[in-house]
Amino acid sequence: MSQVALITGGANGIGRAVAHRMAAGGMCVVIADFDGAAAESVKSEIAESGGKAEALSVDVTRANEIKALVTDVGKRYGQIDVLANIAGGSFYTKRIEEFTWAEWKEVIDVNLKGTFLMCREVAPIMQRQKRGRILNTASNYGLTGAALRTPYAAAKAGIIAFSKSLAQELAPYGILVNTVAPGPTDTPRVMGKESPEARRQRWSNIPLGRTGRPEDIAEAFFFLTTPESAWITGQTFHVNGGLVTP
Amino acid sequence: MRLQGKVAVVTGGAQGIGRAIALGLGREGAKVVVADLQADKAKSVADELTNLGSESLPVEVDVASESSVKNVAQETLGRFGHVDILVNDAGVYPTALVVDMKEAEWDRTINVNLGGNFLCSRAFVPSLRAQKSGRIISIASGIAHYGAKEGAHYAASKAAIIGFVKSLARELGPDGITANAICPGIANTALPRGHRTEEELMQRLRSNPLGHVLEPEDFVGPVLFLASDAASYITGQTINVNCGSYMI
Repeated sequence: MSQVALITGGANGIGRAVAHRMAAGGMCVVIADFDGAAAESVKSEIAESGGKAEALSVDVTRANEIKALVTDVGKRYGQIDVLANIAGGSFYTKRIEEFTWAEWKEVIDVNLKGTFLMCREVAPIMQRQKRGRILNTASNYGLTGAALRTPYAAAKAGIIAFSKSLAQELAPYGILVNTVAPGPTDTPRVMGKESPEARRQRWSNIPLGRTGRPEDIAEAFFFLTTPESAWITGQTFHVNGGLVTP
Repeated sequence: MRLQGKVAVVTGGAQGIGRAIALGLGREGAKVVVADLQADKAKSVADELTNLGSESLPVEVDVASESSVKNVAQETLGRFGHVDILVNDAGVYPTALVVDMKEAEWDRTINVNLGGNFLCSRAFVPSLRAQKSGRIISIASGIAHYGAKEGAHYAASKAAIIGFVKSLARELGPDGITANAICPGIANTALPRGHRTEEELMQRLRSNPLGHVLEPEDFVGPVLFLASDAASYITGQTINVNCGSYMI
């Protein structure tokens, strides 16, 4: 049976590219997204290109929904080989004094708490299997910080430390936990907010001379599911064209 | 085969991790220049590559010698016309406490490990620039981050390689060339044995979160990934392949 990959935020942007890459790599892909209709359409795209996919809807900030999701996936497939936590976003750009407590919590919860809740639910299944790969999504902002995105940068830095801790906890079970930290990436969400010219100028300091494509990021996610990365755990892959070189 | 038609140069390719990388690149379709101080061993790795059906060229090199490195570049370009991938793996790992360390030993470690990265990269960059693509992959070490008792010169040289590679990434990015480092955790190679018994060594090698003894072959996959098109947007980075023995 092919490997089963559960991908949150798999309906758009980086998540969608990851879903396509893993399906192309022969995995059965479960796209779990807040936007159930968009998840269905990625499922159809993958099916059309000959891959296997399922679409489910989930709000990653709700523990009960996650429990139901993981139980459902477990029943359907009997295994989860890869968990890619990609659901996230910065949502707001505003000064610290303008952030409401509700907005702060929203950003922290979707990014950091969602990652925790998903891992907590899937880890026991992987522990029973004595194998598994967990891939979390950070950001270059998790290292450098970002003005006007305080909760996002905090959440992404939190994801890096969370992932290292989880890597240490799960290593005895042969489960690997790594993080991918994309730099500026051309997703529909960000491309809709900025003209291509403004974007080029803002990121003219990227050594490789361009912003990332979702496919660039997806390759790093995919590599971290392969046997070639079997001895890498607790690490962060920075895919940013050389913008940030920690 | 991900590297069909590519030309790769592997310094230190005659043994250990370098040999595994040379063979791995060959299996993916690359033509491989095996450059090493030990000419006989380089020849025998080149023979192994030939048996795998890969074209290869053994070249004797002292990576700390400007003229010797120049010769490798000339032989490589003379034979294959261009180069796509440079793997800087050649290195030495002598052991001494800092208080006992001879200046000559310090110099040799820095000149071979760090200087070799500089000389080899400098020698091949014009060819990479000319084709507006290329990969430089330097094998640093977990010791760059962790330090090592009796290995201050080695640790310093390997940490410096990381700084060098990041700078190279910034210089070469506009020409479509990536430069990255791999930091292997302590592995079962000839280098770190020193004065330890076999039993002590194996115990030390296994004492990581995954409980796995790293072998030279374990670093090949990450090198192939960085050398492939899949990693075209990754540059200036350090990939730690260490079974989780430290996480940074």
